[in-house]
Amino acid sequence: MAQEWKETEIKRSDVTGLLENTKKLAGMYSELLKMKRKGWENILEKQQKAEKEENNG
Amino acid sequence: MAEWKPYQIAAAGEIQNLADSAATLATTVKETLTLANLGMEAVKLVAQLQTINPLLIALDALAEEILSQLANLKEAGYYYLFIDPYYLKNVAAEPAFTYGFEQLRDEAGRRLFLLRNSDTGEFEQRTESGPPGPFPTQAQLDTGEAKPLLATPRKIIPGGYNPYEGSTVDPLASISPYPQFTTKQVIDEFTKAFDDKGDVPRYKALKNAPNKTGTIVYDTTGTPYSGWDKSKEFGLELFDIGKDQEDGSVIKDFKAARRPINTKIAAGKPNILGQTEFDGGSAAIAIIIAAPSFTVFTDTFNAFSKMFSDIPEMAASTGKNLLDSFAEILTPNPITIKLTQVDTNYGKFEVGDVIGGHKYGGQAEITEINAESIVATSMSTRKTVVITDDVRRQKHVTIDVDANPDERWIDMEVTASPIRSVDGLNSFIVGDDVYEMEKRGEGGNDGTDLFPVYFIKGQHTTTAPGTNRIYPKCGKVAMEKLEVLPDSTPPDFGGIQIKDIIPGWGAFFQILENFVKQLQGMITDSAAFIQDMIDTIKSVEKFLEDLVKIIEEFLEFFQITLPSTGVYALHIPDQNKGNEGIKSAIKSAGGLPDMAYAAGVLFVGTEISGTNPIELLADVLKIS
Repeated sequence: MAQEWKETEIKRSDVTGLLENTKKLAGMYSELLKMKRKGWENILEKQQKAEKEENNG
Repeated sequence: MAEWKPYQIAAAGEIQNLADSAATLATTVKETLTLANLGMEAVKLVAQLQTINPLLIALDALAEEILSQLANLKEAGYYYLFIDPYYLKNVAAEPAFTYGFEQLRDEAGRRLFLLRNSDTGEFEQRTESGPPGPFPTQAQLDTGEAKPLLATPRKIIPGGYNPYEGSTVDPLASISPYPQFTTKQVIDEFTKAFDDKGDVPRYKALKNAPNKTGTIVYDTTGTPYSGWDKSKEFGLELFDIGKDQEDGSVIKDFKAARRPINTKIAAGKPNILGQTEFDGGSAAIAIIIAAPSFTVFTDTFNAFSKMFSDIPEMAASTGKNLLDSFAEILTPNPITIKLTQVDTNYGKFEVGDVIGGHKYGGQAEITEINAESIVATSMSTRKTVVITDDVRRQKHVTIDVDANPDERWIDMEVTASPIRSVDGLNSFIVGDDVYEMEKRGEGGNDGTDLFPVYFIKGQHTTTAPGTNRIYPKCGKVAMEKLEVLPDSTPPDFGGIQIKDIIPGWGAFFQILENFVKQLQGMITDSAAFIQDMIDTIKSVEKFLEDLVKIIEEFLEFFQITLPSTGVYALHIPDQNKGNEGIKSAIKSAGGLPDMAYAAGVLFVGTEISGTNPIELLADVLKIS
């Protein structure tokens, strides 16, 4: 049977899929960085506290 | 002539940049993840690590998914054929008009005829009514009872009166001022492209190719071929035998050892190993953008081109962008015309006047007059005078005479906006007479793509007695000046483009790279270093935030699909009759309305190991 032309809504699921994943990746990576930053900030705080105590002591 | 070309999804244009950037991001993230572990261990943040570990695993998986998503898209190769009569103009759109006698019209644009009065035998002016009928009827025209009121002197013009065919129908009512390329013509081009015998893949020898004619060469699968000649083009990608492996004389991996000896210069029509007439499986997706009106067509085609900017022809970087190209058709650039011998007895041209070239048909509306350019036309001529002296001797002397002593004729430079008429845009050619024009109704393609119809002012009075005549302003074209083009209008879809993102991403990768380097070199837990690290992380976090915002904006564009109106798709699933099968499926497919303006793209995939990449494309484009 002959095929039919159809009026179609063309989408680019490859581009949208890629962008969605990239967005997710950026979001998750931000989470990771936040946790890491928090970790470094804690370390810095501890170090500074120790230094202060040392100076006072 | 439209040509077949190779296509990979997201492997060209701006979308390639986007895809490459996504890949770089994924790879960089993967690299930093490993280092993140090391970094945290170095400062003995074991508790932190326990929280981070599941996130690291998820991130790694996501980065992996992005990379494999890209690899899948890039592995699938297609042939594509782009039929574009308007932007690339690889096929010729035709103006749809015929020539005929210039016929006078009333102010509303209706054609004027003469009808014989049966009592007096005199012809009286009548305006056409209908169509169809009641005036004039074909019978009235055939018997001579009615005849067209033609312009005097007679002039053949595009869209004029044809005494032999369709005389009762106004030709301007079905004419578009824009070149047309119908859906049927796109289908014809699709099928014709399969018949072009010369459109085969072509490969040209590389510099390092064997010089010796007759050297045995190999195809991609390693099959040997004789008949090599460096000066000739072949239809296959060829390789040399390759170098021996490091351990001796035996070639263990011929693919790794071989070197290509030729390079593709033309993709040719869809083929399997260079064979264009094959019975193997092939499938296709054809997309046609079509509209009954040119303005609707340009809107849809423009959106379509943005969506497919990975097709090189549609990439904005390819010369003038599509929107500019259409804008030039819809709103042509202004022109500057130097007019001479403008006869002030009939008036000077003014801003707002429409002028028309008599012989070459240029039409434009004056938008500006260069006041400094208005000077008396230099009209010197020479004449011989006879001087008789006192002894009646005569002497013939030639002297210069100013033929414009009272400055009746002037030169002037005008800037004008060109007007598209029945046969498109026409230039003002040097020497052509220029007259003031007046509008007499509108023509248009069945009520769409309307265009004004202009006549020389007073054209309908040329046969009237002198006192009743109306004379137009007039002059001559001295020169058309080259105009500096105005700034192009940038393409705009929701205010963002992929390329707008790319520079930002470049900066982001730079930050990430530095970040990775810092992690690699991290052996100290000094306060200065830690502060530095915190600052870097903050800047990367900020960047990621911005990036997400940009992606969200961009997604908005891609989540808005093309309007279904005006975009037609045909999916021909894998079939085993090769190119011939595709061709006949395209020819026999129904359901495509005949529209005046159309362009199209045809993707063809050949079966590889039992699967056809077209199915992936159908999935990507959501075409069932």
